Amino acid sequence: MSLLSTTHGPPLRQAPPPRWRPSVEFRLTLPALALLLFFFILPVLALLLRSVMEPQLGLHNYIELFGSPTYARVFFNTFFVATVVTAVTLLIGFPVAWLLAIMPRFWSTLLFAVILLSMWTNLLARTYAWMVLLQRTGVINRTLLQWGLIDQPLPLVNNLVGVTIGMTYIMLPFIIMPLHATLKGIEPAILRAAALCGASRWQAFTRVLLPLALPGVAAGGLMVFVMSLGYFVTPALLGGTSYMMLAELIAQLVQSLLNWGLGGAAAFVLLLVTLALYAVQLRYLGGGRMGRGGR
Amino acid sequence: MLLDFDRLGALRWLLVGIGVLVALFLLLPIVFIAALSFGDSQWLVFPPPGWTLRWYQELLSDPRWLEAMLTSAKVGLLVTVLSVLLGLLASLGLVRGSFYGREALRALFLTPLVLPVVVLAVALYAFFLRLGLNGTLLGFVIGHLIVALPFSIITISNSLEGFDRALEDAALICGASPLEVKLRVTLPAIKLGLFAAAIFSFLVSWDEVVLSIFMASPSLQTLPVRIWGTLRQDLTPVIAAASTLLVALTLVLMLLVALVRKGK
Repeated sequence: MSLLSTTHGPPLRQAPPPRWRPSVEFRLTLPALALLLFFFILPVLALLLRSVMEPQLGLHNYIELFGSPTYARVFFNTFFVATVVTAVTLLIGFPVAWLLAIMPRFWSTLLFAVILLSMWTNLLARTYAWMVLLQRTGVINRTLLQWGLIDQPLPLVNNLVGVTIGMTYIMLPFIIMPLHATLKGIEPAILRAAALCGASRWQAFTRVLLPLALPGVAAGGLMVFVMSLGYFVTPALLGGTSYMMLAELIAQLVQSLLNWGLGGAAAFVLLLVTLALYAVQLRYLGGGRMGRGGR
Repeated sequence: MLLDFDRLGALRWLLVGIGVLVALFLLLPIVFIAALSFGDSQWLVFPPPGWTLRWYQELLSDPRWLEAMLTSAKVGLLVTVLSVLLGLLASLGLVRGSFYGREALRALFLTPLVLPVVVLAVALYAFFLRLGLNGTLLGFVIGHLIVALPFSIITISNSLEGFDRALEDAALICGASPLEVKLRVTLPAIKLGLFAAAIFSFLVSWDEVVLSIFMASPSLQTLPVRIWGTLRQDLTPVIAAASTLLVALTLVLMLLVALVRKGK
C-alpha cells in the first residue's frame, strides 16, 4: 500500500490549491475551538478583569493580596507544601522508576498496574481513605498507641503532616511515569562501560546514571510542583482551615466572602505562576510530557 | 551494571524492597476503604468487629445518593459522546492540517489540562451565574467537557498519527466516496483510540470534583459533590461504600481498556 504514496499526501489525487487546503482542516477544529473560546477563554478573562475592576478600577486587590500577612502565610504554605511534596516524591519515586525500568517484564507490568489503578481511582475516595487512616482515633494512631510507641494520639490531620502525606500519595504516580520513561531510554551498556573503566557503583551512579536521568528528574519534579501549587481537594480536606493553601483561599474568597475582586487577583497569581513554570518546561525540557493542573 | 537487574547484587534487594513498600502504600488506602465498607463499625474501627452490607443498603436506599449517581451517569455519558465527537474532528484537523497557527491551536486545546482546575471552576461559576447555568445538567456537561476534551484530543491524535494515510488513498482509488472512506476506512482503523478516548472522557467526568462543587445546587448534585458534602460533616462508612463502588467502576473500565488493547 505504502508504495502508492509518498510520505506526504496522496500523489494520485489532484492536489487542491494550497490556499483552500488549510481551511478545510481548520474548519474541523471549529466546534472545539468555539467551545473553548466561549466557555474557557472568555470566563477566565472576565474573572481576571474583575480583579482590576472591583470594587474600583486599579491594583488594590493585588496590593492587599501581597501586603497582608494572612495571605503571605497562605502563599508560604502553598510553596512550602509544593516544595516538600516534590522533594519527597522524587526521593521515593526515583528508586521505583529505576526498578520498573530494569525488573523482569511480568513484575514491572504488575507494579505498573498498581500505579495506574491508584492514579485513576477517584480522588475523593483516596483522600477519604487518608482522612480515616490519619484521624485521632484512626488506624495509624491506634496501632502506634497499642505498640506503646506514643502515649497520646499524634495530630496527623488538619496540619502540614496530613497535607504532605495525602499529596505525596497522589503525586507519586505522576513522578514515576516520566522518570521511568527517561531511565528506560538509557542504554545499559553505558553503565557497563563505566564499570569496565573502573568506576565504583557510587561513581557510576553519581557521575553517569544521575546526570543522564536529570532531564526526567527536572520534568517530573516541575510537573509535580506545578500540580501541587494549584491543588484544592486534598489540602482542603486534610489541611483544613488551619493549614490553608492558595486554591482553597480562592474558593473561600469567592464562595463564602463573595469578594470577586480579591479572588480574581489570587486566581490570576496562581494562573501566572502555573503558566510561567509550564513555559520553562516547554522551553527547556521539551513539551513531550504534559502534566495535569491541580485538582 | 546499574541498569542490569541480575547484576545489581545487594542493591537489587534494596530497590525491590522500596518497590514493594510503595506498591503497598499505593494499594493500602484502596483496600482499606473496601474493607471498611463491609465492616459493621460505625466508628470505622479497623479491623472491623464484624461484617455487614448495611452501608450499601443505606447508600442504595437513599434517594439522594441514587439521584446523585444518576446525574453523574447522565453527565458522564453526554460528556463522553461530545468529547469523542469534538475530539475526533479537532484531531483530524490538527493531525492532517498544515494551516498557520496549528501548533498554537494544539497548545490551546491542551491548556485546560494544565491550568489549575480551581481557576476554571471559579471563572465558570461566575460566568454561569450570568447565564443561569449553575445547577443545571447543561452546566455540568459544559464544564466537564472542557476538562475531558484534552484527553480525547491527545488519545485520538496519537492513533491518527499511527494510521497510514495510504489506506485512505487506496480506498479512494478503488472508488469510495470521501465520506465512505472516513466511515469505513479511517474510523475502523482508529477505533481503539476512540474507545480509549471515550473511557478516559467518562472517567474524567465521573471523577470531577472541583468544577462540580461550584456548579452544583442542592437539588442537582453529582456523586462526587454528594461525597464531598457528606465528608465535610462526618466520615460515615456510607462514604466508604460509595467510594468502593467508584473504585470498582474504575477498575472495570481500566481492565476493559487493557483487554481491548491486548486483543488488538
